[in-house]
Formats: sequence, C-alpha cells, structure tokens
Amino acid sequence: MSAPSFFEWLTTSPWANAMNGPEWAFPVVQSLHFIGFAFSIGTIAIVDLRLLGLAMRRQSAAELAADLDPWTRLGLALMLITGPLMFSADAVAYHNNPSFQFKMVVLALALLFHFTIHRKATRSGVLPLAAKFAGGMSLLLWTAVVAGGRMIAFV
Amino acid sequence: MSIPSLLQWVEGTDLSTAIREGALPYPILGGVHLLAIALFGGMVLMTDFRLLGWAMRRTAVPDVVRQFQAWKRAGFVVLVASGLLLAWAEPLKLYRSPSFWVKMALLALVGVHALVFRLRVYGKSARLDVAETVEGKLAAAISLVLWGGLIVSGRLIAYDA
Repeated sequence: MSAPSFFEWLTTSPWANAMNGPEWAFPVVQSLHFIGFAFSIGTIAIVDLRLLGLAMRRQSAAELAADLDPWTRLGLALMLITGPLMFSADAVAYHNNPSFQFKMVVLALALLFHFTIHRKATRSGVLPLAAKFAGGMSLLLWTAVVAGGRMIAFV
Repeated sequence: MSIPSLLQWVEGTDLSTAIREGALPYPILGGVHLLAIALFGGMVLMTDFRLLGWAMRRTAVPDVVRQFQAWKRAGFVVLVASGLLLAWAEPLKLYRSPSFWVKMALLALVGVHALVFRLRVYGKSARLDVAETVEGKLAAAISLVLWGGLIVSGRLIAYDA
C-alpha cells in the first residue's frame, strides 16, 4: 500500500468516522489531549525545573522523577491515543501540514531525549551542569512540541 | 453605553485589530495559553493528587503544596494575561459564545474555591501534616473538576461561532 492511500484509508476507518460524526467528538478528544499533556509535559516540567534548581529543592531529582513517572506515562498514553485519533479524522491534510511534520520530528526527539539523557540526568551524582543542560533542553523540546501543535490550525 | 457597543469599541481598538488580523499574534498568544496549561497544569494536578493521597506520597502534604504554590500562581498569571489579550481580539464573538460564559462561570468558581479553601487547606497545609484530610480531599476533588471543565469549555469556544 502506498503512503497516500494509507492516509486515505485512515480517514475512512471506523474511528475516523466516529471522530467526524457528532459535533462534540473532536473538541472532547482535543480536551483529553490537553489533559494528557498537562499530565505528561506538566510532570516532566516539574523534574526539569528541579534539574535547573528552580523548584522542589527539598526533594532530590531522583526522588521526584521516580514519584512522577507513573503520571508522566499516564499522560503520554492519553496523548498517544487521542493524537492519532485526531490525526485519523483528517489524515491526508495533517500529514501534508508543515506544522504537523515539525511537531512529529520534535516529538520524536523529545521522547528520545526523555527516555535516555533526561532519565540519566535525574540520577544522583550527576554533574550540576549536566543536570541543568538536561532540564533546559527538555523544557525547550516540549515547548517546541506544544508550539508546533498549536500552529497546525494556522498553517 | 450597552455592553455590545462597549465590546464594539474594544474590537475597534488598534490592539484588538492587531491581534485579530496579524499573522503571528493570535497563534502566539494561543500557544502561550496552551503552553501554560502544559507547563503548570502538572503542578495543579500533582498538588491535588497529593491532597487526595494518590501521588508523591513520600513527600509531606505541606512540602508539596508550598513548593508548587509560587509556580502555580505564575502560571495562572500567564493564563489570565494571554486569555485577556485573546478575548480583547474578538470580544463580540465571545459575548455570543455559550461555552465562553460557561468558562467564565467556572473561573469565578475557581475564585470562590480559593476563598473557601485558601485558609482552610492550602494556607494551613502544615496542619495537614503527612496525612490527608477530608477537607483537603474535598478541595482537591473540586479543583480537579473545575480545571477539567475550564479546559473543555475553553476548547469548545472555538466550535461555537
């Protein structure tokens, strides 16, 4: 199956039909997407601010990262379910949208960074400068993901 | 002066026109509004989840509540400021949007929530000690419902027009 026909097929899938059905379906799924990133990006940002030494200084970064991890994962799961649902509803247009393409690239980088360097930086005994780099870089990557997402509707 | 004519005046201001018609201001303000939800929403969630005893249980309640407080306030200021500018750009559209009024009612309830629970729960979090209290759980549950409602009603505004 060639790429365009895959995206065309997606728009005719049952879940795409459900998304394009009742008027409330899309905004409700979008709202769940927002709640998903409040959980995921919101908890990652708490760890980032700790790595930068700006918040939650009475806890160690390792302790915070461990305690928040389940909620980060819950948020990521919610985002990765609601995101593709919205994508399916208008797959051909989205996959040609430059903002969407930008968002997917930075999302891949942000996730890769999160589960590799960011995770290591929360361990005890990491150089302060390395921790700060990881925190700042993570904030920057997730900010780019949100900004790219917002721009999809305007491009 | 009637409200619609006042809003008409707002819509005629240079600032309103600039936000509405410029290519960048509107999406940037929307992005900032969204980013504040992403970056500070986690602190609202984790404060409430700690009060409910669901998250960060190794950390004492007052430790969580107090350390997030300043950041949550900063996030709230960013949300209100970006929201005001977005509203300034299209006041007449919002005036006619039922979802906007639902959102404003929920925002007013967030204010009531703060007045009722600030002193009793968040301000006296030291008294909550490590254990959760019924009052703290009630405050947290109401807060979560209000913030969930704000997100949904806010998103629905775009579909009213």
